[in-house]
Amino acid sequence: MGPVELLHMSVFSQSFSPCGRFLAAGNNYGEIAVFSLSAALSPDATAQSQKPVLTFSAHEGPVFSLLSNDCHLLSAGSGEVSCWSWAELIKKNTKPLWTKRPNYKSSLEIPEINSMTFNSRDNSLVLAGGDNNVHILDLERGLFKSVLQGHSDYVHCVSVRGREGEILSGGEDGAVRMWDSRTGQCVHCIEVHKYESCARPQFGKWISCVTTDSDWMLCGGGPSLSLWHLRSLSPTSIFPLIGCQRQTSFYQDMILAVGDGPAVSHCLLGGEVKAQIPCSPQSLNTLQLNTNSTDYRVLTVGGSSDHIDVFTNLSYRTFSFSF
Amino acid sequence: MTSVSEEAGRSLTAQQKSLAVVTDRRQVHSYRGSRCCRRKRDTRRVYINWMNRAKETEDDEVIRKRLLIDGDGAGDDRRINVLLKSFTKWCNSPGTPDEGFTQYQRMMGILAQCEFSMGKTLMVYDMNLREMENYEKIYTNIEQNITSAHDKIAECKKEIQRAKRIRKNRQEYDALAKVIQQHPDRHETLKQLEALDKELQQLSHIKENVDAKLELRKKQFHVLLSTIQELQQTLENDEKSDNDENIQGSPAQNGE
Repeated sequence: MGPVELLHMSVFSQSFSPCGRFLAAGNNYGEIAVFSLSAALSPDATAQSQKPVLTFSAHEGPVFSLLSNDCHLLSAGSGEVSCWSWAELIKKNTKPLWTKRPNYKSSLEIPEINSMTFNSRDNSLVLAGGDNNVHILDLERGLFKSVLQGHSDYVHCVSVRGREGEILSGGEDGAVRMWDSRTGQCVHCIEVHKYESCARPQFGKWISCVTTDSDWMLCGGGPSLSLWHLRSLSPTSIFPLIGCQRQTSFYQDMILAVGDGPAVSHCLLGGEVKAQIPCSPQSLNTLQLNTNSTDYRVLTVGGSSDHIDVFTNLSYRTFSFSF
Repeated sequence: MTSVSEEAGRSLTAQQKSLAVVTDRRQVHSYRGSRCCRRKRDTRRVYINWMNRAKETEDDEVIRKRLLIDGDGAGDDRRINVLLKSFTKWCNSPGTPDEGFTQYQRMMGILAQCEFSMGKTLMVYDMNLREMENYEKIYTNIEQNITSAHDKIAECKKEIQRAKRIRKNRQEYDALAKVIQQHPDRHETLKQLEALDKELQQLSHIKENVDAKLELRKKQFHVLLSTIQELQQTLENDEKSDNDENIQGSPAQNGE
Protein backbone atom coordinates (compact mmCIF):
# COMPACT_ATOMS: atom_id res chain seq x y z
CA MET A 1 0.00 0.00 0.00
CA GLY A 2 1.95 2.96 -1.22
CA PRO A 3 1.37 6.48 0.04
CA VAL A 4 -0.62 7.40 -3.07
CA GLU A 5 -3.03 4.55 -2.49
CA LEU A 6 -3.38 5.51 1.13
CA LEU A 7 -4.15 9.06 0.10
CA HIS A 8 -6.94 7.94 -2.20
CA MET A 9 -8.43 5.41 0.15
CA SER A 10 -12.03 5.71 1.34
CA VAL A 11 -13.56 3.61 4.04
CA PHE A 12 -17.07 2.65 3.05
CA SER A 13 -18.22 0.27 5.70
CA GLN A 14 -17.50 -0.99 9.19
CA SER A 15 -18.72 -3.73 11.46
CA PHE A 16 -17.94 -4.85 14.98
CA SER A 17 -17.34 -8.47 15.88
CA PRO A 18 -19.97 -10.26 17.99
CA CYS A 19 -17.63 -10.27 21.00
CA GLY A 20 -17.10 -6.56 20.57
CA ARG A 21 -13.32 -6.74 20.59
CA PHE A 22 -12.59 -6.38 16.89
CA LEU A 23 -13.58 -3.95 14.17
CA ALA A 24 -13.70 -4.87 10.50
CA ALA A 25 -13.53 -2.07 7.94
CA GLY A 26 -13.89 -2.23 4.18
CA ASN A 27 -12.35 0.22 1.78
CA ASN A 28 -12.63 1.14 -1.85
CA TYR A 29 -9.81 -1.18 -2.93
CA GLY A 30 -11.82 -4.23 -1.96
CA GLU A 31 -9.84 -4.92 1.18
CA ILE A 32 -11.11 -5.65 4.63
CA ALA A 33 -8.93 -4.81 7.62
CA VAL A 34 -9.54 -6.20 11.09
CA PHE A 35 -8.46 -3.97 13.98
CA SER A 36 -8.20 -5.08 17.59
CA LEU A 37 -10.13 -2.76 19.90
CA SER A 38 -9.02 -4.52 23.03
CA ALA A 39 -5.35 -3.98 22.19
CA ALA A 40 -5.85 -0.35 21.22
CA LEU A 41 -7.88 0.51 24.32
CA SER A 42 -5.69 -1.32 26.80
CA PRO A 43 -3.43 0.74 29.09
CA ASP A 44 -0.26 -0.45 27.36
CA ALA A 45 -1.29 0.37 23.81
CA THR A 46 1.42 1.39 21.36
CA ALA A 47 1.32 2.99 17.93
CA GLN A 48 1.41 -0.54 16.48
CA SER A 49 -1.92 -1.39 18.06
CA GLN A 50 -3.60 1.21 15.86
CA LYS A 51 -2.66 -0.76 12.77
CA PRO A 52 -4.80 -3.65 11.60
CA VAL A 53 -4.12 -7.13 12.91
CA LEU A 54 -5.21 -8.58 9.57
CA THR A 55 -5.75 -7.11 6.10
CA PHE A 56 -7.00 -9.20 3.22
CA SER A 57 -8.52 -8.69 -0.16
CA ALA A 58 -12.19 -9.58 -0.13
CA HIS A 59 -13.71 -8.40 -3.38
CA GLU A 60 -12.63 -7.04 -6.69
CA GLY A 61 -14.51 -3.83 -6.33
CA PRO A 62 -15.07 -1.64 -3.26
CA VAL A 63 -16.57 -3.21 -0.17
CA PHE A 64 -19.70 -1.13 0.21
CA SER A 65 -21.29 -2.89 3.10
CA LEU A 66 -20.26 -5.02 6.07
CA LEU A 67 -22.59 -6.73 8.51
CA SER A 68 -22.05 -9.05 11.47
CA ASN A 69 -24.28 -11.51 13.16
CA ASP A 70 -23.54 -13.96 15.95
CA CYS A 71 -20.60 -15.64 14.30
CA HIS A 72 -20.33 -14.45 10.72
CA LEU A 73 -19.15 -11.38 8.91
CA LEU A 74 -20.96 -10.64 5.67
CA SER A 75 -19.41 -8.38 3.10
CA ALA A 76 -20.93 -7.01 -0.06
CA GLY A 77 -18.99 -5.67 -2.97
CA SER A 78 -19.60 -5.33 -6.63
CA GLY A 79 -22.38 -7.79 -7.23
CA GLU A 80 -21.64 -10.51 -4.73
CA VAL A 81 -22.03 -11.27 -1.05
CA SER A 82 -19.34 -13.18 0.81
CA CYS A 83 -19.56 -14.68 4.24
CA TRP A 84 -16.57 -15.04 6.58
CA SER A 85 -16.39 -16.63 9.99
CA TRP A 86 -15.24 -14.31 12.76
CA ALA A 87 -13.51 -17.11 14.59
CA GLU A 88 -11.48 -17.91 11.49
CA LEU A 89 -10.67 -14.26 10.87
CA ILE A 90 -9.36 -13.86 14.39
CA LYS A 91 -7.08 -16.81 13.69
CA LYS A 92 -6.01 -15.01 10.48
CA ASN A 93 -7.57 -17.52 8.14
CA THR A 94 -9.08 -15.52 5.27
CA LYS A 95 -10.99 -18.12 3.33
CA PRO A 96 -14.64 -17.15 2.85
CA LEU A 97 -17.35 -19.58 3.88
CA TRP A 98 -19.49 -18.85 0.86
CA THR A 99 -19.95 -16.28 -1.90
CA LYS A 100 -23.31 -15.75 -3.54
CA ARG A 101 -24.56 -13.59 -6.32
CA PRO A 102 -28.17 -12.50 -6.73
CA ASN A 103 -29.91 -13.24 -10.02
CA TYR A 104 -29.30 -10.26 -12.17
CA LYS A 105 -31.25 -9.85 -15.34
CA SER A 106 -28.48 -8.48 -17.48
CA SER A 107 -25.18 -10.31 -17.42
CA LEU A 108 -23.23 -7.53 -19.13
CA GLU A 109 -23.09 -5.08 -16.28
CA ILE A 110 -22.74 -6.39 -12.76
CA PRO A 111 -24.58 -4.05 -10.44
CA GLU A 112 -23.10 -3.37 -7.03
CA ILE A 113 -24.71 -4.11 -3.69
CA ASN A 114 -24.95 -0.85 -1.82
CA SER A 115 -26.23 -1.93 1.53
CA MET A 116 -27.35 -4.94 3.55
CA THR A 117 -29.41 -5.51 6.64
CA PHE A 118 -30.80 -8.45 8.56
CA ASN A 119 -34.48 -9.21 8.81
CA SER A 120 -34.54 -11.22 11.99
CA ARG A 121 -38.20 -12.17 11.67
CA ASP A 122 -37.55 -14.72 9.00
CA ASN A 123 -33.77 -14.94 9.22
CA SER A 124 -33.09 -13.34 5.89
CA LEU A 125 -30.68 -10.83 4.47
CA VAL A 126 -32.00 -7.82 2.58
CA LEU A 127 -29.71 -6.44 -0.11
CA ALA A 128 -29.98 -3.09 -1.80
CA GLY A 129 -28.91 -3.65 -5.35
CA GLY A 130 -27.71 -1.37 -8.04
CA ASP A 131 -30.16 -2.91 -10.47
CA ASN A 132 -33.05 -0.94 -8.92
CA ASN A 133 -34.21 -3.97 -6.95
CA VAL A 134 -34.11 -5.14 -3.38
CA HIS A 135 -33.01 -8.76 -3.15
CA ILE A 136 -33.85 -10.99 -0.23
CA LEU A 137 -31.55 -13.92 0.61
CA ASP A 138 -32.81 -16.63 2.92
CA LEU A 139 -29.94 -17.36 5.28
CA GLU A 140 -31.27 -20.77 6.34
CA ARG A 141 -31.35 -22.25 2.88
CA GLY A 142 -28.88 -19.96 1.16
CA LEU A 143 -31.18 -19.16 -1.74
CA PHE A 144 -32.48 -15.87 -2.99
CA LYS A 145 -36.10 -15.78 -1.92
CA SER A 146 -37.56 -12.81 -3.67
CA VAL A 147 -36.92 -9.59 -5.48
CA LEU A 148 -38.75 -6.39 -4.63
CA GLN A 149 -39.16 -4.25 -7.68
CA GLY A 150 -40.44 -0.77 -7.72
CA HIS A 151 -37.61 1.68 -7.65
CA SER A 152 -36.75 3.38 -10.87
CA ASP A 153 -33.11 3.97 -10.04
CA TYR A 154 -30.58 2.20 -7.91
CA VAL A 155 -31.32 1.51 -4.28
CA HIS A 156 -28.90 3.13 -1.85
CA CYS A 157 -29.92 1.87 1.53
CA VAL A 158 -32.23 -0.53 3.29
CA SER A 159 -33.56 -0.79 6.79
CA VAL A 160 -35.94 -3.10 8.57
CA ARG A 161 -38.83 -2.21 10.85
CA GLY A 162 -38.67 -5.01 13.35
CA ARG A 163 -42.10 -4.79 14.88
CA GLU A 164 -44.16 -4.58 11.74
CA GLY A 165 -41.93 -6.71 9.56
CA GLU A 166 -41.52 -4.07 6.91
CA ILE A 167 -38.51 -3.28 4.78
CA LEU A 168 -37.70 0.34 4.00
CA SER A 169 -35.56 1.19 1.03
CA GLY A 170 -34.27 4.50 -0.16
CA GLY A 171 -33.05 5.08 -3.66
CA GLU A 172 -31.54 7.43 -6.14
CA ASP A 173 -34.98 8.22 -7.50
CA GLY A 174 -35.85 10.07 -4.32
CA ALA A 175 -38.46 7.60 -3.12
CA VAL A 176 -38.52 5.78 0.19
CA ARG A 177 -40.53 2.63 -0.32
CA MET A 178 -42.01 0.45 2.36
CA TRP A 179 -42.40 -3.21 1.53
CA ASP A 180 -44.22 -5.91 3.40
CA SER A 181 -41.64 -8.64 3.96
CA ARG A 182 -44.08 -11.51 3.65
CA THR A 183 -45.97 -10.61 0.52
CA GLY A 184 -43.30 -8.51 -1.14
CA GLN A 185 -45.76 -5.74 -2.01
CA CYS A 186 -44.89 -2.10 -1.80
CA VAL A 187 -47.08 -0.77 0.97
CA HIS A 188 -46.15 2.90 0.89
CA CYS A 189 -44.03 5.15 -1.21
CA ILE A 190 -42.86 8.51 0.10
CA GLU A 191 -41.30 10.96 -2.29
CA VAL A 192 -39.28 13.03 0.11
CA HIS A 193 -38.30 15.70 -2.38
CA LYS A 194 -41.95 16.58 -2.93
CA TYR A 195 -42.29 17.95 0.58
CA GLU A 196 -41.30 21.58 0.51
CA SER A 197 -39.83 21.65 3.98
CA CYS A 198 -37.35 18.86 3.27
CA ALA A 199 -36.49 19.41 -0.35
CA ARG A 200 -33.16 20.87 -1.36
CA PRO A 201 -33.20 21.11 -5.12
CA GLN A 202 -29.61 22.23 -5.23
CA PHE A 203 -28.49 18.79 -4.05
CA GLY A 204 -30.99 16.64 -5.86
CA LYS A 205 -33.63 14.20 -4.82
CA TRP A 206 -31.61 11.10 -3.97
CA ILE A 207 -31.92 9.41 -0.63
CA SER A 208 -28.69 7.99 0.73
CA CYS A 209 -29.57 6.99 4.26
CA VAL A 210 -32.61 5.43 5.79
CA THR A 211 -32.78 4.27 9.36
CA THR A 212 -35.75 3.35 11.43
CA ASP A 213 -36.82 2.96 15.01
CA SER A 214 -40.06 1.12 14.24
CA ASP A 215 -42.17 4.21 14.88
CA TRP A 216 -39.87 6.83 13.46
CA MET A 217 -37.71 7.03 10.42
CA LEU A 218 -34.74 9.18 9.56
CA CYS A 219 -33.93 9.78 5.94
CA GLY A 220 -31.60 12.12 4.22
CA GLY A 221 -29.33 12.63 1.28
CA GLY A 222 -30.16 15.25 -1.30
CA PRO A 223 -33.11 16.53 0.74
CA SER A 224 -32.35 17.60 4.29
CA LEU A 225 -32.13 15.00 7.00
CA SER A 226 -35.63 14.65 8.34
CA LEU A 227 -37.41 12.68 11.01
CA TRP A 228 -40.66 11.06 9.90
CA HIS A 229 -43.45 9.60 11.91
CA LEU A 230 -44.22 6.38 10.13
CA ARG A 231 -47.81 5.85 11.20
CA SER A 232 -48.92 9.17 9.85
CA LEU A 233 -46.23 9.34 7.12
CA SER A 234 -45.53 12.95 7.89
CA PRO A 235 -42.22 14.74 8.44
CA THR A 236 -41.98 15.99 12.01
CA SER A 237 -38.54 17.57 12.22
CA ILE A 238 -36.07 18.84 9.70
CA PHE A 239 -32.44 19.08 10.74
CA PRO A 240 -30.57 22.15 9.54
CA LEU A 241 -27.37 20.35 8.56
CA ILE A 242 -25.32 21.63 5.68
CA GLY A 243 -24.26 18.93 3.30
CA CYS A 244 -25.71 15.56 2.52
CA GLN A 245 -25.88 12.97 5.25
CA ARG A 246 -24.67 9.50 4.39
CA GLN A 247 -25.38 7.54 7.53
CA THR A 248 -27.49 8.21 10.57
CA SER A 249 -28.46 6.30 13.64
CA PHE A 250 -30.63 6.62 16.71
CA TYR A 251 -28.68 6.54 19.97
CA GLN A 252 -30.45 6.81 23.33
CA ASP A 253 -32.20 10.15 23.08
CA MET A 254 -30.05 11.56 20.31
CA ILE A 255 -29.53 11.24 16.61
CA LEU A 256 -26.01 10.84 15.24
CA ALA A 257 -25.42 11.75 11.63
CA VAL A 258 -22.37 11.72 9.38
CA GLY A 259 -21.96 12.94 5.85
CA ASP A 260 -20.29 15.78 4.03
CA GLY A 261 -18.11 17.79 6.27
CA PRO A 262 -15.51 16.61 8.78
CA ALA A 263 -17.83 16.34 11.73
CA VAL A 264 -20.19 13.98 13.50
CA SER A 265 -23.45 15.80 14.18
CA HIS A 266 -25.39 15.15 17.35
CA CYS A 267 -29.00 16.21 17.02
CA LEU A 268 -32.02 16.09 19.23
CA LEU A 269 -35.33 14.66 18.11
CA GLY A 270 -36.85 18.11 18.20
CA GLY A 271 -34.80 19.26 15.26
CA GLU A 272 -31.95 21.19 16.81
CA VAL A 273 -28.31 20.32 16.28
CA LYS A 274 -26.76 19.89 19.68
CA ALA A 275 -23.11 19.48 18.74
CA GLN A 276 -20.77 18.87 15.85
CA ILE A 277 -17.69 16.94 16.82
CA PRO A 278 -14.73 17.34 14.44
CA CYS A 279 -12.95 14.30 13.02
CA SER A 280 -9.97 13.70 10.85
CA PRO A 281 -11.43 12.54 7.51
CA GLN A 282 -12.73 15.33 5.32
CA SER A 283 -16.05 13.68 4.72
CA LEU A 284 -17.54 10.68 6.43
CA ASN A 285 -19.22 7.65 4.97
CA THR A 286 -19.94 5.32 7.81
CA LEU A 287 -20.76 5.42 11.50
CA GLN A 288 -20.93 2.47 13.85
CA LEU A 289 -21.61 2.07 17.55
CA ASN A 290 -20.24 -0.92 19.41
CA THR A 291 -23.23 -2.34 21.21
CA ASN A 292 -21.82 -5.85 21.47
CA SER A 293 -19.52 -5.26 24.38
CA THR A 294 -19.86 -3.31 27.61
CA ASP A 295 -16.14 -2.73 28.00
CA TYR A 296 -15.47 -1.19 24.61
CA ARG A 297 -18.48 1.02 23.99
CA VAL A 298 -17.03 3.17 21.26
CA LEU A 299 -18.26 5.03 18.23
CA THR A 300 -16.18 4.71 15.09
CA VAL A 301 -16.46 6.76 11.93
CA GLY A 302 -14.71 6.33 8.62
CA GLY A 303 -14.74 8.27 5.42
CA SER A 304 -12.60 9.62 2.68
CA SER A 305 -9.29 8.92 4.36
CA ASP A 306 -7.34 5.90 5.51
CA HIS A 307 -8.00 6.78 9.12
CA ILE A 308 -10.90 5.52 11.17
CA ASP A 309 -11.65 7.76 14.15
CA VAL A 310 -12.56 6.13 17.43
CA PHE A 311 -14.59 7.98 20.06
CA THR A 312 -14.63 6.45 23.56
CA ASN A 313 -16.61 9.41 24.84
CA LEU A 314 -19.04 10.78 22.31
CA SER A 315 -17.77 14.30 22.79
CA TYR A 316 -14.26 13.98 21.49
CA ARG A 317 -12.07 11.88 19.26
CA THR A 318 -9.75 9.61 21.21
CA PHE A 319 -7.50 8.12 18.56
CA SER A 320 -7.55 6.81 15.02
CA PHE A 321 -6.99 3.46 13.47
CA SER A 322 -5.18 3.56 10.16
CA PHE A 323 -4.96 1.05 7.35
CA MET B 1 24.06 -14.00 107.88
CA THR B 2 26.96 -12.86 105.97
CA SER B 3 27.93 -16.42 105.14
CA VAL B 4 24.46 -17.03 103.63
CA SER B 5 24.67 -13.87 101.63
CA GLU B 6 28.19 -14.73 100.73
CA GLU B 7 27.05 -18.10 99.55
CA ALA B 8 24.16 -16.57 97.68
CA GLY B 9 26.55 -14.11 96.22
CA ARG B 10 28.92 -16.89 95.31
CA SER B 11 26.14 -19.00 93.71
CA LEU B 12 25.00 -16.08 91.68
CA THR B 13 28.46 -15.18 90.64
CA ALA B 14 28.86 -18.06 88.18
CA GLN B 15 25.79 -17.08 86.19
CA GLN B 16 26.34 -13.41 86.71
CA LYS B 17 29.84 -13.77 85.42
CA SER B 18 28.82 -14.79 81.95
CA LEU B 19 26.19 -12.07 81.83
CA ALA B 20 28.58 -9.59 83.30
CA VAL B 21 31.04 -10.43 80.58
CA VAL B 22 28.48 -9.56 77.96
CA THR B 23 27.23 -6.46 79.73
CA ASP B 24 30.75 -5.30 80.39
CA ARG B 25 31.47 -5.61 76.73
CA ARG B 26 28.31 -3.72 75.93
CA GLN B 27 28.94 -1.09 78.55
CA VAL B 28 32.25 -0.45 76.97
CA HIS B 29 30.53 0.02 73.66
CA SER B 30 27.72 2.20 74.96
CA TYR B 31 30.10 4.57 76.63
CA ARG B 32 31.06 5.65 73.17
CA GLY B 33 27.59 7.17 72.64
CA SER B 34 24.74 6.58 70.18
CA ARG B 35 26.79 6.91 67.03
CA CYS B 36 28.12 3.55 67.97
CA CYS B 37 24.57 2.15 67.97
CA ARG B 38 24.71 1.41 64.32
CA ARG B 39 28.02 -0.33 64.71
CA LYS B 40 26.51 -2.15 67.68
CA ARG B 41 23.63 -3.33 65.57
CA ASP B 42 25.92 -4.38 62.79
CA THR B 43 28.10 -6.34 65.16
CA ARG B 44 24.95 -7.80 66.57
CA ARG B 45 23.79 -8.91 63.15
CA VAL B 46 27.15 -10.42 62.35
CA TYR B 47 27.10 -12.15 65.69
CA ILE B 48 23.62 -13.52 65.07
CA ASN B 49 24.58 -14.74 61.62
CA TRP B 50 27.59 -16.46 63.09
CA MET B 51 25.31 -17.94 65.65
CA ASN B 52 22.88 -19.19 63.08
CA ARG B 53 25.67 -20.96 61.39
CA ALA B 54 27.03 -22.42 64.63
CA LYS B 55 25.19 -24.91 66.75
CA GLU B 56 22.78 -23.31 69.24
CA THR B 57 23.60 -24.00 72.84
CA GLU B 58 21.93 -22.69 75.98
CA ASP B 59 24.34 -19.89 76.44
CA ASP B 60 24.14 -18.89 72.81
CA GLU B 61 20.40 -18.81 73.01
CA VAL B 62 20.46 -16.58 76.02
CA ILE B 63 23.01 -14.27 74.52
CA ARG B 64 21.03 -14.09 71.29
CA LYS B 65 17.84 -13.24 73.10
CA ARG B 66 19.53 -10.54 75.13
CA LEU B 67 21.01 -9.07 71.98
CA LEU B 68 17.68 -9.12 70.19
CA ILE B 69 15.77 -7.53 73.04
CA ASP B 70 18.15 -4.66 73.22
CA GLY B 71 16.11 -2.44 70.94
CA ASP B 72 14.35 -0.24 73.39
CA GLY B 73 16.71 2.56 74.30
CA ALA B 74 20.38 2.29 75.19
CA GLY B 75 20.04 2.46 78.91
CA ASP B 76 17.31 0.16 80.20
CA ASP B 77 18.97 -3.18 80.03
CA ARG B 78 22.16 -1.70 81.23
CA ARG B 79 20.26 -0.15 84.10
CA ILE B 80 18.86 -3.48 85.16
CA ASN B 81 22.29 -5.03 85.02
CA VAL B 82 23.76 -2.14 87.00
CA LEU B 83 21.00 -2.62 89.52
CA LEU B 84 21.72 -6.30 89.88
CA LYS B 85 25.41 -5.69 90.20
CA SER B 86 24.95 -2.95 92.74
CA PHE B 87 22.49 -5.13 94.63
CA THR B 88 24.95 -7.95 94.92
CA LYS B 89 27.66 -5.46 95.81
CA TRP B 90 25.42 -3.92 98.38
CA CYS B 91 24.58 -7.33 99.82
CA ASN B 92 28.21 -8.16 100.14
CA SER B 93 29.46 -4.75 101.10
CA PRO B 94 31.00 -4.37 104.50
CA GLY B 95 30.70 -0.61 104.54
CA THR B 96 28.99 1.72 106.99
CA PRO B 97 25.21 1.65 107.41
CA ASP B 98 25.06 5.19 106.07
CA GLU B 99 26.83 4.24 102.87
CA GLY B 100 24.66 1.17 102.78
CA PHE B 101 21.62 3.36 103.13
CA THR B 102 22.72 5.74 100.38
CA GLN B 103 23.49 2.79 98.20
CA TYR B 104 20.03 1.45 98.98
CA GLN B 105 18.47 4.81 98.08
CA ARG B 106 20.39 4.83 94.85
CA MET B 107 19.19 1.33 94.03
CA MET B 108 15.59 2.29 94.77
CA GLY B 109 16.02 5.25 92.49
CA ILE B 110 17.33 3.08 89.68
CA LEU B 111 14.46 0.64 90.30
CA ALA B 112 11.97 3.47 90.11
CA GLN B 113 13.51 4.57 86.83
CA CYS B 114 13.22 1.04 85.47
CA GLU B 115 9.62 0.83 86.56
CA PHE B 116 8.90 4.17 85.00
CA SER B 117 10.34 3.16 81.68
CA MET B 118 8.49 -0.14 81.84
CA GLY B 119 5.26 1.73 82.50
CA LYS B 120 5.99 4.03 79.59
CA THR B 121 6.51 1.16 77.18
CA LEU B 122 3.34 -0.52 78.40
CA MET B 123 1.39 2.66 77.71
CA VAL B 124 2.97 3.01 74.30
CA TYR B 125 1.96 -0.58 73.60
CA ASP B 126 -1.63 0.18 74.68
CA MET B 127 -1.63 3.26 72.54
CA ASN B 128 -0.43 1.30 69.54
CA LEU B 129 -3.15 -1.27 70.05
CA ARG B 130 -5.80 1.42 70.23
CA GLU B 131 -4.35 3.19 67.19
CA MET B 132 -4.55 -0.10 65.31
CA GLU B 133 -8.19 -0.47 66.32
CA ASN B 134 -8.85 3.06 65.23
CA TYR B 135 -7.24 2.45 61.87
CA GLU B 136 -9.21 -0.76 61.46
CA LYS B 137 -12.40 1.17 62.11
CA ILE B 138 -11.45 3.88 59.64
CA TYR B 139 -10.52 1.21 57.12
CA THR B 140 -13.88 -0.57 57.36
CA ASN B 141 -15.62 2.80 57.25
CA ILE B 142 -13.83 3.74 54.05
CA GLU B 143 -14.59 0.37 52.52
CA GLN B 144 -18.25 0.82 53.30
CA ASN B 145 -18.15 4.28 51.79
CA ILE B 146 -16.55 2.90 48.65
CA THR B 147 -19.18 0.22 48.22
CA SER B 148 -21.99 2.67 48.86
CA ALA B 149 -20.43 5.08 46.36
CA HIS B 150 -20.30 2.27 43.82
CA ASP B 151 -23.96 1.54 44.46
CA LYS B 152 -24.84 5.19 44.12
CA ILE B 153 -22.95 5.39 40.84
CA ALA B 154 -24.89 2.40 39.49
CA GLU B 155 -28.15 3.99 40.66
CA CYS B 156 -27.27 7.28 39.01
CA LYS B 157 -26.41 5.53 35.78
CA LYS B 158 -29.80 3.86 35.78
CA GLU B 159 -31.39 7.22 36.51
CA ILE B 160 -29.57 8.74 33.55
CA GLN B 161 -30.81 6.00 31.26
CA ARG B 162 -34.35 6.54 32.48
CA ALA B 163 -34.07 10.29 32.08
CA LYS B 164 -32.73 9.89 28.55
CA ARG B 165 -35.65 7.64 27.65
CA ILE B 166 -38.05 10.13 29.12
CA ARG B 167 -36.43 12.95 27.20
CA LYS B 168 -36.61 10.95 24.00
CA ASN B 169 -40.31 10.26 24.56
CA ARG B 170 -40.98 13.93 25.31
CA GLN B 171 -39.23 14.98 22.16
CA GLU B 172 -41.21 12.49 20.15
CA TYR B 173 -44.43 13.86 21.65
CA ASP B 174 -43.33 17.38 20.83
CA ALA B 175 -42.52 16.48 17.25
CA LEU B 176 -45.89 14.81 16.78
CA ALA B 177 -47.63 17.69 18.51
CA LYS B 178 -46.06 20.13 16.07
CA VAL B 179 -47.47 18.16 13.17
CA ILE B 180 -50.86 17.86 14.81
CA GLN B 181 -51.04 21.57 15.52
CA GLN B 182 -50.81 22.23 11.83
CA HIS B 183 -54.12 20.50 11.29
CA PRO B 184 -57.32 22.47 12.23
CA ASP B 185 -59.31 21.81 15.36
CA ARG B 186 -61.68 18.85 15.37
CA HIS B 187 -64.64 20.79 16.88
CA GLU B 188 -64.50 23.43 14.19
CA THR B 189 -64.28 20.85 11.48
CA LEU B 190 -67.24 19.01 12.95
CA LYS B 191 -69.25 22.21 13.16
CA GLN B 192 -68.41 23.03 9.58
CA LEU B 193 -69.44 19.56 8.60
CA GLU B 194 -72.77 19.95 10.41
CA ALA B 195 -73.47 23.29 8.78
CA LEU B 196 -72.65 21.81 5.39
CA ASP B 197 -74.94 18.87 6.11
CA LYS B 198 -77.81 21.17 6.96
CA GLU B 199 -77.28 23.20 3.84
CA LEU B 200 -77.21 20.03 1.82
CA GLN B 201 -80.49 18.88 3.34
CA GLN B 202 -82.14 22.20 2.68
CA LEU B 203 -81.03 22.25 -0.87
CA SER B 204 -82.26 18.71 -1.44
CA HIS B 205 -85.66 19.71 0.02
CA ILE B 206 -85.87 22.62 -2.36
CA LYS B 207 -84.86 20.38 -5.22
CA GLU B 208 -87.64 17.91 -4.35
CA ASN B 209 -90.20 20.66 -4.20
CA VAL B 210 -89.16 22.07 -7.51
CA ASP B 211 -89.23 18.61 -9.07
CA ALA B 212 -92.73 17.94 -7.77
CA LYS B 213 -93.97 21.27 -9.15
CA LEU B 214 -92.37 20.53 -12.47
CA GLU B 215 -94.13 17.18 -12.64
CA LEU B 216 -97.47 18.74 -11.80
CA ARG B 217 -97.16 21.44 -14.43
CA LYS B 218 -96.05 18.85 -16.96
CA LYS B 219 -99.12 16.80 -16.25
CA GLN B 220 -101.41 19.84 -16.42
CA PHE B 221 -99.94 20.94 -19.69
CA HIS B 222 -100.25 17.43 -20.97
CA VAL B 223 -103.93 17.36 -20.04
CA LEU B 224 -104.48 20.74 -21.67
CA LEU B 225 -102.69 19.85 -24.82
CA SER B 226 -104.40 16.50 -25.20
CA THR B 227 -107.82 18.17 -24.70
CA ILE B 228 -106.99 20.74 -27.36
CA GLN B 229 -105.85 18.04 -29.71
CA GLU B 230 -109.02 16.05 -29.18
CA LEU B 231 -111.13 19.12 -29.78
CA GLN B 232 -109.19 19.77 -32.95
CA GLN B 233 -109.75 16.23 -34.06
CA THR B 234 -113.47 16.44 -33.30
CA LEU B 235 -113.75 19.72 -35.19
CA GLU B 236 -111.88 18.27 -38.16
CA ASN B 237 -114.03 15.21 -38.08
CA ASP B 238 -117.15 17.33 -37.98
CA GLU B 239 -115.94 19.40 -40.94
CA LYS B 240 -115.10 16.27 -42.82
CA SER B 241 -118.46 14.68 -42.19
CA ASP B 242 -120.24 17.95 -43.16
CA ASN B 243 -118.30 18.00 -46.42
CA ASP B 244 -119.12 14.34 -47.09
CA GLU B 245 -122.84 15.00 -46.49
CA ASN B 246 -122.79 17.96 -48.86
CA ILE B 247 -121.14 15.92 -51.66
CA GLN B 248 -123.62 13.03 -51.17
CA GLY B 249 -126.60 15.36 -51.11
CA SER B 250 -125.84 17.08 -54.48
CA PRO B 251 -125.38 13.88 -56.59
CA ALA B 252 -128.68 12.60 -55.19
CA GLN B 253 -130.34 15.82 -56.25
CA ASN B 254 -128.70 15.62 -59.64
CA GLY B 255 -129.83 12.05 -60.07
CA GLU B 256 -133.57 12.81 -59.55
